[in-house]
Amino acid sequence: MSIQESIRIIPHGDIAVVEFDMVGEKVNKLNTPMMTRLREVIGELRKSTFKAAIFKSNKPKIFIAGADIDEIKSMNSKEQFEKAVLAGQEIFNELEDLPIPTIAAVHGACAGGGCEFIMACDYRMATDDNSTKIGLPETKLGIIPGFGGCVRMPRMIGLANAFDIILAGKLVPAKKAEKMGLIDQVVYPTILQEQALKMAQELIQKGSKKRKKIFEPQGLMPKFLESIVGRQVVYSQAKKGVLQLTHGHYPAPLKAIQVISRTYGMSDRNRALQIEREAFIEAAATDVSRNLIHVYYLTEMVKKQTGVTGREVKANDVHSIGILGAGTMGGGIAFIAADKGLEARMKDINFDAIGKGLKHASDLWGKSLKKKRINKYEFQQKMDRITGTVDYSGFKILDVVVEAIVEDMEIKKKVIAETAKNMRPDAIIATNTSSLSVTEMAQGHPKPEYFAGMHFFNPVDKMPLVEVIRGEKTSDETIATIFELSKRLGKMPVVVKDGPGFLVNRLLLPYMAEAAFLLQEGMSIEKVDQAYVKDFGMPMGPFALMDEVGLDVCLKVLKIFKKAFGSRVEIAPCMEKLEKSGRMGKKNSKGFYKYDERGKRQEVDSTVYADLGLSTPTDPLALKECIERGIFAMVNECSLALLEDQIVQSAHEVDLAMIMGTGFPPFRGGLLKYADSVGSQYIVDQLEVYSSKGASRLKPSTPLRNMAKTQRKFYN
Amino acid sequence: MANPRDVVIVDGVRTPFAKAGSKLKNIHAAELGKVALKELINRTQLDVNEVEEVIIGNTGNPVDAVNIARVVALNAGIPQKTSAYTVHRNCASALESISNGFEKIKSGTMDVVIAGGTESMSQMPTLLPEKIQKIMNQLFAAKGPSQALPLLLKLFQADLKQIKALLTSNMKDQYFPVISIMQGLTDPFVGINMGQTAEILAKEWGLSREMQDQFAVRSHLRAVEATKNGKLPAEIAPFPIGPDYKETLTVDIGPREGQNMEALGKLKPFFDKRTGTITAGNSCPITDGAAMILMMSREKAQALGMKPIAKIRGYGFAGLEPERMGLGPVYSTPIALKRAGLTLKDMQLIELNEAFAAQVMACQKAFDSDQFGKDKLGLSGKVGEIRDDILNVNGGGIALGHPVGTTGTRLVITLMKEMKRRNLQFGLATLCIGGGQGGSMVLEAEA
Repeated sequence: MSIQESIRIIPHGDIAVVEFDMVGEKVNKLNTPMMTRLREVIGELRKSTFKAAIFKSNKPKIFIAGADIDEIKSMNSKEQFEKAVLAGQEIFNELEDLPIPTIAAVHGACAGGGCEFIMACDYRMATDDNSTKIGLPETKLGIIPGFGGCVRMPRMIGLANAFDIILAGKLVPAKKAEKMGLIDQVVYPTILQEQALKMAQELIQKGSKKRKKIFEPQGLMPKFLESIVGRQVVYSQAKKGVLQLTHGHYPAPLKAIQVISRTYGMSDRNRALQIEREAFIEAAATDVSRNLIHVYYLTEMVKKQTGVTGREVKANDVHSIGILGAGTMGGGIAFIAADKGLEARMKDINFDAIGKGLKHASDLWGKSLKKKRINKYEFQQKMDRITGTVDYSGFKILDVVVEAIVEDMEIKKKVIAETAKNMRPDAIIATNTSSLSVTEMAQGHPKPEYFAGMHFFNPVDKMPLVEVIRGEKTSDETIATIFELSKRLGKMPVVVKDGPGFLVNRLLLPYMAEAAFLLQEGMSIEKVDQAYVKDFGMPMGPFALMDEVGLDVCLKVLKIFKKAFGSRVEIAPCMEKLEKSGRMGKKNSKGFYKYDERGKRQEVDSTVYADLGLSTPTDPLALKECIERGIFAMVNECSLALLEDQIVQSAHEVDLAMIMGTGFPPFRGGLLKYADSVGSQYIVDQLEVYSSKGASRLKPSTPLRNMAKTQRKFYN
Repeated sequence: MANPRDVVIVDGVRTPFAKAGSKLKNIHAAELGKVALKELINRTQLDVNEVEEVIIGNTGNPVDAVNIARVVALNAGIPQKTSAYTVHRNCASALESISNGFEKIKSGTMDVVIAGGTESMSQMPTLLPEKIQKIMNQLFAAKGPSQALPLLLKLFQADLKQIKALLTSNMKDQYFPVISIMQGLTDPFVGINMGQTAEILAKEWGLSREMQDQFAVRSHLRAVEATKNGKLPAEIAPFPIGPDYKETLTVDIGPREGQNMEALGKLKPFFDKRTGTITAGNSCPITDGAAMILMMSREKAQALGMKPIAKIRGYGFAGLEPERMGLGPVYSTPIALKRAGLTLKDMQLIELNEAFAAQVMACQKAFDSDQFGKDKLGLSGKVGEIRDDILNVNGGGIALGHPVGTTGTRLVITLMKEMKRRNLQFGLATLCIGGGQGGSMVLEAEA
C-alpha cells in the first residue's frame, strides 16, 4: 500500500492537488516504483473530472531530488537503461499531454528528474526559500538529462541558459530560475499552495487551456544567438569551452551539446526524445559515468560517517574556534570558519600578522561581494566573526583551537602546552601540521586525549579535504568533534592514523620524487606536466605541483621520508641541487616555472636545467612510461600505507582523500579505482620493468605482489 | 558589607580614540562599538548567553542604524534573543547607559548588562537646507511630469543658490547645507555654541588664556606619559583598520608629545575672535571612538567566577542654565555623593571630562566656593576642593578627545583602572552635558 501513499491525489473542488511524499525516505526520488505510481496518478487525472492539477511535495526541503542513483548504479545493460529511460520519457509525455492545465508548486531541491518533471508541466511556481534550487546536475555524474531535459529545457529558456545549467550540472535558486524563464512565479514558502490554487482557479475560469512555453529572446544579441547562424556559434563555443576545461576526459557535456544541437527546434517529439535516449544510454555505459557515480557515493559516505567506527560517539558542539598563527593556512582556516558562521579568533605574535589574516578573508569575501554571491550585510556579518589577539584573551570561551604555526616540533609542543593552560579543560586543540608526528606533539598537551591532527590543504578555501589525524591517545570524542567540525566547515574529512606524511602527502611524495628522476633522465618539464594534465587528467603536473608546495619544503619532506622509509625513497641528484639554486617555487616566483607579479604561473623557466646540472632535455622516454612511473609509484606506496600500516581503513577513503586533496581526476574514480581498472598484475609487471633499470625505489611492494598473485583488487 | 545585589563592573574596554576625520573616519559607529564589545567579551571570557541587556549611548544616531545598540550587539555576536537599546543624554549618554544598567541590576530585574557608548563624529551627516528639502518633498509627491517639471526647475534654481552660499562660505545663508555636528554643538534653547558657553565661564570665573593653555599642556603631557607607560593602552582594544588591515591602531591619536605654551599660544580664539580665550588647543577635539563595560550583580559575578574591578556606589544627574552647561558636574556630584553616602573629601581620584579647559577650571572653582554652594546648590557651604594631583591624572578630553556618546563610559573605565593601580578606595567620574546638565558616578574599588 505504501507506494500509493507516496503520491496521492487530494481533491480541492475542481482542482487535484497531487502530493509527493515518498514513504520511508527523507526525499522524493524517481525510482521505478515511484514512476509506475506516477503513471497511475496521471492516468487517474486523465480520466477524472478535475479541471486543473497541482503537483507539490510534502517533504520539508525537497521537491524531487531526481532519479534514484542506487538504481542507475545497479543497471548494467543497455537494455535496462533503454527500458527505464523510455518509460520515464513516456510518463513525462503523458504528463505533458494531460488535457487539463498542470502546475508544479516547487519548494526545496528540484534536481535532475525533478526538474524534467516540472518542465513537462504547463506552469511552474517556486518558493524563494534558500532550499529551493532547480536544475539538471546529470553531467556531474557522467550522464545527461534523459527524461526529456535536453529537449525541453532549451525550448523553454533558450540555448544559452540551457547550456549554462546542463553543461555545468548547475542548480539555480528560484529567483534566478524565474529570471531565466524556468519558473513563472516565485512566492513566499507559506503561501505556495494558496497561490498555486489561486492560479489554478484563474486558469479554470479562463477555460482550462493548456500552454506550451516557448523561449522568446529579448534584445539583439539573444535574438541572434537563437537564429540559425547564431545557434552554430553557440554550439561551437560551448564545445570549445567544455574541451578547454576537461581535455575531453568528460564525454557527458559533449553528448548533451550534441543532443541539443540535433534536436533543438525539431517538431517530432518522439524522434527528439529518441536521440536524447540513445545518447543517455551511451553516456551511462561509460566507465567515466561509473567512476563519477562512485565518487558521488564516496562523498555521500562521508555525510553519514562520524569519524569513529564501532561505537556511537557524540561530537561536541563547536561555536567558536581559535587559530594559532594568522599566516596563509591560519588565515584560510579563520576565513572558512567565519564563512560558515563560527566565531574565529586568530592569535599571532603581532598585529601585522593578524592584519594579513584579516585582509586575506576580506579579499575573499570581497570577491563574493563583487560577484553578488553575498550582499554587503552578509559581508559585514562574516567579517565581524573574525577577531585578532596577541595574547590568550578569550581562549576560555573557545571550543576548539587549530594550531597553524611554524613546523617545528619543539616550538609546537611548547605553544600547545601554553594554549592548553589558557583553555577550558574540555576544549580541543588540533594541529594543522603536514609533516610532524601528532602522537609526539600530543606530549605537549597535559591531556593528550583532547589533541588531534586537523590537516587542511592549501588553499584552504578551495581544497575540500581535511585529514583528521588520530594520535595514539586521541579520544573518540575528540575525533568525532573534529570530524563533525570539518563537515561543518564544508570539508570532506578522512580519519587517518599518525605516520609520516599521513595519507595524501605520503602518496604524493613518491610521485613528485619520480618526476625528478624523469627530469634527470632527460625529460622536459613541459612534456611531463602536459602528459599528466592532458592525457591523465590531473589538475596540474608534478612540477607545477612542486612549485606550489614549495621546492624547499619538498626537499625537506623527502629527506624526512628517506629517514622513515629507507630505500623506498630515493632523491634524484638534480633535486639535491635545488637548494643551492635558490629556487623555492611559487612563493619566491622562482621554480620550475616562471611567475608574473601576481604570482600566476607562466612558461617553464628554461634556465632551470643548467641550474640543476642537466643538459638540454631530449625527451627520451615514452609518455606512457612517464605517467605510469608516477602513478604506479603512488599505488605502490598506497599498498603499504593501506594494507600494511593501515593509515586508513579502506580503499574508499584513499580515493576520496586523493580526489579531494590532490584533485586526482574524478573521472578515474580515484587512485585505487584506477589501479583496480588496470589490474594489480599489470602494475606489478610494469613496476618490475621500470625498477629493473636500476630504480630500486620502484620495486613492487609485497602486499602489491600478493594482490597480483591472488588476483585481488583494492575494492573487494 | 558585601550585598549580593551590589552592582559591580567586571571590566571595561574601549577603542583607541581618533580625532574625527583621521584614522577611524571610515569606520561606522556600529563597527567601533563592535570592536570594543568583542574585545570586552574576550577579555572577560564571557559566555555571551549570560548577557541580558545591551545598553549603548550614542548621539549621532546614524540613519542606517537608528537603534545602534542592537546593531552593535548582533555584530559582536551577542545572541539574537538578547535585547538592546540606545540611550541619548548628549555628552553623558554613556554614563546614562551605565546608570540604566545599575538600576536594572540593583532592582534585581537583571544580573548581566553590557553598557557603553559609541560615536563616529566623522560620519555625522551633512543635510540639505530646509529650503531645498521642501522642494524635494513636493517633488517626491508630484504626479506626472507636468507637476514634476516646474519643481525640477525650482530645485535647479535652489541648487544654484546653494552653490553661491558655499562659494561665499556664508553659513547663515538659508541655502547653506546643514552640518549636523555644528547643529548638535549648538544649544537649542538659548542658541549659542558649546564653545560660547565655555567663553561665558572663562569670563565669569576669571580664567585667563594662559591658565587655560597651561591646563591643556598638562592634559597632553599626562596623556603622553600614560600612553608610554602602558596605562591607557591597557584599556584599549587594538583596532585593525580595514579594508587593508595594514595598520592596527593600539593607542589614542590625540596626545601630543612636547605640547607647549608657545604652540598653543599661536592659536586664535575660535568662538569669540576679539575678546575670547577659548581656542581649538584648549578645547577637546571632535573624536571617533567607543567604550564598553560589563556589569553584573555581585552574586552573578561570584557564580561566574568573575573578578570585578569596582562597585558602583551611586550616580546622579542634575540640570542648570544651558548657557553655563560646563558647570554641570558641580550640580550633579553632590547628588551622587549623597546617594553613595560619601563626601567629596572621600574621593581619592577624579575623572572630570575636559570639554574645555576653562570649563574644568570653572568647575574646580565652583566646587570650592562657599558662596556658589549656598547660592546655587542650596548647601550650607562649598562642595569641596578638587586638587590638581587627583584630577584627570592620565590626561583628559583635551588630549584624548571627546566622542560625545562614548565619553561617560571612557571616564568610568579610566577611573576604575587607575583606582586599582593606585589601590584607592573611592573615585568620582563626572561630566558636563550640552543643554545644561551634569552627570556623576561614584565608584568603590573591589578588593
